[in-house]
Amino acid sequence: MNDLQWAPVGPPQPVPPPLPPTRVDFTGNRSEFRKMVTKGALLELVTFGFYRFWLVTDIRRHLWSHTAIDGDAAEYTGRGKELLIGFLFALAILVPIYLAYFLVGIEFERWQGFASTPLFISFYAFGQFAIFRARRYRLTRTVWRGVRFWMDGSGWAYSLRAMLWGLLVFLTLGLALPWRAASLERYKMQHTHYGDLRGDFEGDGWAFFKRGWWLWLLSPMALVIFPLAPFFYAEFKAREWRWWLDGIRIGGVSLSSDLPHNAFYGIYWKVVGWWMLLSVLFGLYVAGAAGLVASAGVSIAGPDAIVRSVPLLCMLVIGYFALALALNIVMRVYLQRDLWAKVLETVEVHDIAAAADVRGSGELASALGEGFADGLDVAGF
Amino acid sequence: MSDVSAEALAQSAKPTIFFDGVSSRRRQVTLTLGDALEILEEGGTPVRWAYADIRRADSPAGILRLACTTAPPLARLEIRDTALAAEVTARCTRLDEHQTTRRGIAKIVGWSVAAAVSILCVVLFGVPLAADRLAPLVPKPVERRIGDAAEVQMKTIFGRGVCEDPAGKAAFTKLVNRLRDAAGLDDDSMTAGVLPTSVPNAFALPGGKVFVLKGLLDKAENPDELAGVLAHELGHLKHHDNMRGLIYNGGTSFLIGLLFGDVTGSSAVIFASRSVVEASYSREAETNADTFAIEIMHALGRSPKPAAELMFRITGKEGGSGFTTILASHPLTEDRLARMTREDRPASGPPLLTDKEWEALKGVCGSGKI
Repeated sequence: MNDLQWAPVGPPQPVPPPLPPTRVDFTGNRSEFRKMVTKGALLELVTFGFYRFWLVTDIRRHLWSHTAIDGDAAEYTGRGKELLIGFLFALAILVPIYLAYFLVGIEFERWQGFASTPLFISFYAFGQFAIFRARRYRLTRTVWRGVRFWMDGSGWAYSLRAMLWGLLVFLTLGLALPWRAASLERYKMQHTHYGDLRGDFEGDGWAFFKRGWWLWLLSPMALVIFPLAPFFYAEFKAREWRWWLDGIRIGGVSLSSDLPHNAFYGIYWKVVGWWMLLSVLFGLYVAGAAGLVASAGVSIAGPDAIVRSVPLLCMLVIGYFALALALNIVMRVYLQRDLWAKVLETVEVHDIAAAADVRGSGELASALGEGFADGLDVAGF
Repeated sequence: MSDVSAEALAQSAKPTIFFDGVSSRRRQVTLTLGDALEILEEGGTPVRWAYADIRRADSPAGILRLACTTAPPLARLEIRDTALAAEVTARCTRLDEHQTTRRGIAKIVGWSVAAAVSILCVVLFGVPLAADRLAPLVPKPVERRIGDAAEVQMKTIFGRGVCEDPAGKAAFTKLVNRLRDAAGLDDDSMTAGVLPTSVPNAFALPGGKVFVLKGLLDKAENPDELAGVLAHELGHLKHHDNMRGLIYNGGTSFLIGLLFGDVTGSSAVIFASRSVVEASYSREAETNADTFAIEIMHALGRSPKPAAELMFRITGKEGGSGFTTILASHPLTEDRLARMTREDRPASGPPLLTDKEWEALKGVCGSGKI
């Protein structure tokens, strides 16, 4: 869930050439954020998950409005209701697609057992489309200095690129990943605009490859020595972020970042730590619940076992929801808020003056893309 | 408040910034608090915002950021001076009217709960009803197509080809035909076969396909045992259980997925709730198929009990913890054995197969090991 990528972008000021770069400030209060996601997670629970549209909106509003570039904070103007409507529309479109998928699948299966498996790839393509359109929605709700970002380009063209590159990555066992990232990012950024400024992406696959190739070589080790995995992932993510930020251009404005390679060690290990702690607590709770039921003299065997195991089942469901809730909060605080803050403090904005007087343009995009992404359970930026 | 003092306030402290919503230019302005808010840039034309139209926009702490419903949608006024911000806030009576209030959240919660309850009712009552009503209406050709697809899959899993020994096949056909006639299944396209795999099982597919796996045949000690199991599978065909299951499973996973926000239904909660709901539905179908098998066997003058003994020989005693019971797709074998034993009656009809035919059937896949 990285919704968080494009706040840092160009602002304006005087002209003389070697101006010092501008920094990006994040002033969000951590405990305020924690309270917000805790309350949001509880509401998500009592609304059977429907509150997620409003919670995601609140999180973005918080992160955006506390991110200031050149002294002026950004603003997120999307609303939860838009996401809900987008989701419902996406459903209306997805239902016939699922039915068609089912019927086509049957014809394939008649011809050859399990021949329909590759059909699943069509959902991957649809997922890529959804990622592109969801990005467009978020971007058109991102406002800085009274001018919004916007996007053109085609979701299907993007999806086709993503598929072809995905095939190449698959065939090269992942080695082509940097070039895939560079190509897709170029497509996204070249169709990104801030007012009448056009974006671009100058990162290239080689640079990314040179920063991370040894991780690719070592990654099989992480499968054997489990504790290495978070380190590897943190290394990879930090290198990816830095490469990505270094490549971003909007008009004459450019970004750079000196994100250290070990920047995310702490964050990922804290998440792993919380995850283990919560799992242990859940394990103890399950054992305790089972013990309690047993000591109350209720045997869960015999003919009417179903009726008798209802209390235990209820306790387990409650425990499971509490666990999911806690994990949700941990993920949002560390992987969204803390990661966001960590990345932003390393970002420098150059030649912000180029964005001093930008004319606003671009239309608002619908939340349909977000709805697809939600319905298909894909996330990306 | 006189204009003079307000203006003095505005000049005094941190700058007030205005973005006109058309360009990103940062304009330093002074405010005049008259009967409307007047925003004045040096050398520019003043902009007037009526107090009633002013709304609060998201901002970091220490900055009051305002928007106006009658101005361009992205026009923003940023007041950094606390005293001035307080002055303006006091005049704008509808500043926070558009924010989500407690009542708004209560409304979201209320509607969500209503939606969840309705989805739950549909899962518990609507979908089974729809499945029961729709399954018999599915046109035969459609059912057969689905059956064909499933058959190809099964044969991929359990090895290609059906056991073909002529004498054994004839015996099997005779057995199936006797059961079919007793069951009143008028499906002339019905096919049945023995698949060469050691898994002890039997299943019915849509479009009138019944398959016995050789493992089951090997464990069976007499024709009645096998006949009971076959009768059970015919029961599934008679009740359109495959189509019902298909409609039911598709409907429930979709609806439960809708509830938890993931239509493909991959997450754990969905899996768990689906398992419980569907297992209970499937247990009911199995019990009905058993009832059907009992009726058929009685009609043929044979006892249903041997089939249950065969199943018991294969599964052993199943009753364990409460969870396996809740999640089980079939009734427990011991419960089924008890039920079939109650229905045990001495044989009044002729044997379903002669000893010679039974021998032939046992050897339908050839003598070789699989």
